[in-house]
Amino acid sequence: MKKAIQLDPVDNVATLLVDAVKGDEIEIISTNNQVIDVVTCLQGITFGNKVALTDIADQQLITKAGYPVGVAIMAIPRGELAHVQNVRSQRLDIPDNIIEEIIKQMRIEQA
Amino acid sequence: MMSSFIGFGRADGSVGIRNHVLIMAVDECCDGIARAIADSIDNGIVVTNYNTCMYGGNEEMINTMVHTGNNPNVAGVLVLAMGCGSIDPEIVAAPIRVSGRPAFSLVCMKQQGTRATITQGKALAQELQQVAQAAPRIETPISKLVIGVKCGGSDTSSGIASNPSVGRAVDKLVDLGATAIAGELIELVGCETILRQRAVSPEVADKLERLIHEEEARWHVDGAEVETMSIGNSVGGLTTLEEKSFGALSKTGTRPIQDVLQINHLVHEKPKAAGFYLSEATHLCGSAGMHFASLGAHLILWTTGGAGFNNPIVPVIRISGNQYLLNEDIDIDASGIMRAEEGVESVAERIVAKVGTVAQGGQTNIEEIGYSYCSLYQKDQRLETLLRFKPGC
Repeated sequence: MKKAIQLDPVDNVATLLVDAVKGDEIEIISTNNQVIDVVTCLQGITFGNKVALTDIADQQLITKAGYPVGVAIMAIPRGELAHVQNVRSQRLDIPDNIIEEIIKQMRIEQA
Repeated sequence: MMSSFIGFGRADGSVGIRNHVLIMAVDECCDGIARAIADSIDNGIVVTNYNTCMYGGNEEMINTMVHTGNNPNVAGVLVLAMGCGSIDPEIVAAPIRVSGRPAFSLVCMKQQGTRATITQGKALAQELQQVAQAAPRIETPISKLVIGVKCGGSDTSSGIASNPSVGRAVDKLVDLGATAIAGELIELVGCETILRQRAVSPEVADKLERLIHEEEARWHVDGAEVETMSIGNSVGGLTTLEEKSFGALSKTGTRPIQDVLQINHLVHEKPKAAGFYLSEATHLCGSAGMHFASLGAHLILWTTGGAGFNNPIVPVIRISGNQYLLNEDIDIDASGIMRAEEGVESVAERIVAKVGTVAQGGQTNIEEIGYSYCSLYQKDQRLETLLRFKPGC
């Protein structure tokens, strides 16, 4: 089964270790390879990108490796890609035109 | 892992894991002379100052040369100058001699030219090599090691596999009593709150925040914008600057931060006791190698996608988690984490074991052939003045 890794138990996202397509069931593993959850991808998510492990509310922090890495700018349901289309930096944002380019290059299906 | 290694004893009480002779040129005009001399001995390494032969404003680079000469892996030093520049080679050699290491200097113009300087330099290098060969072999606990921590050529695997594994290895080594030093303050922008909590005192926390802020200001002056996040980073899975920074942070482990070691023209701070440190070692790979050498590091743990940075003074152990970029340059394969076949703890144990092997004399994969230029980094004093930074406080 395809896998994604949750780097810290408090994280609300996990990082895909392979490319996944919409409808794929993904095993969520801990850093010690324990399977801790199974999540269904609501959209295509490529290797190295993050899938939401819980329903994340608008303005809620995104936590990876135990640290807040950004804030949700809309509700992100469990199974969706958490990335530039629905998450912003709290420190220094990527310019809007660059975000558009990233979304285009990655062919992110917008909710 | 092995608990001790047989190292090379130095007069200042330090013990090296390598036994190098440094040929240092304080001006670039002597680089060819330095290389000709270094080629005449087995363990000769060239360090050349390419910045300028003028002295004023280059004290930081001189400091880095002096402290690199005092690295435990160095047995002795020969310093060269052409004679027309402002930097007297004794400015470098004399403070190295204070450590008890032999340090000679030669001025080409006084030696009656290039050929005569090379002849005389070869004789002095032979003498230094004999000093190296006579260095007492001392059994030394692994806890005496000083380890630099650095990343470069990072990709999406770094934050998941190699950086957390190195972080865990750093914790294990610090728990054994070793010293670990990370640099790259520009890569820690966004991590200040977490780092403050790890600082041993409010003073260290304030110093840390100030030095990260200064490094950010230094690299983000008007007219010279620096990309902090590339489109490639984002397509690879990094969403925000914080995420990139925290990925880099994970290689520093979790132990308390004893201090942030400053490197500038007034001070060149070194660890006063064992433990984990941050430092002003630059994020630029080649120059970082020299910064770690000048901070007294014996070796460097370096995480990467697949690149092969090397430093001839301080052995570099390369760790990669990207199975598609792995090649013979990589000493530790962390790609099992990306395939969910191996855990961080297990890779960390292999890294610690490798540290023990390299300390004992075992070569890294490209130690002998992967020669990389010894870059001497220094901050631009005109910029420092314009930004109104107060060094040394």
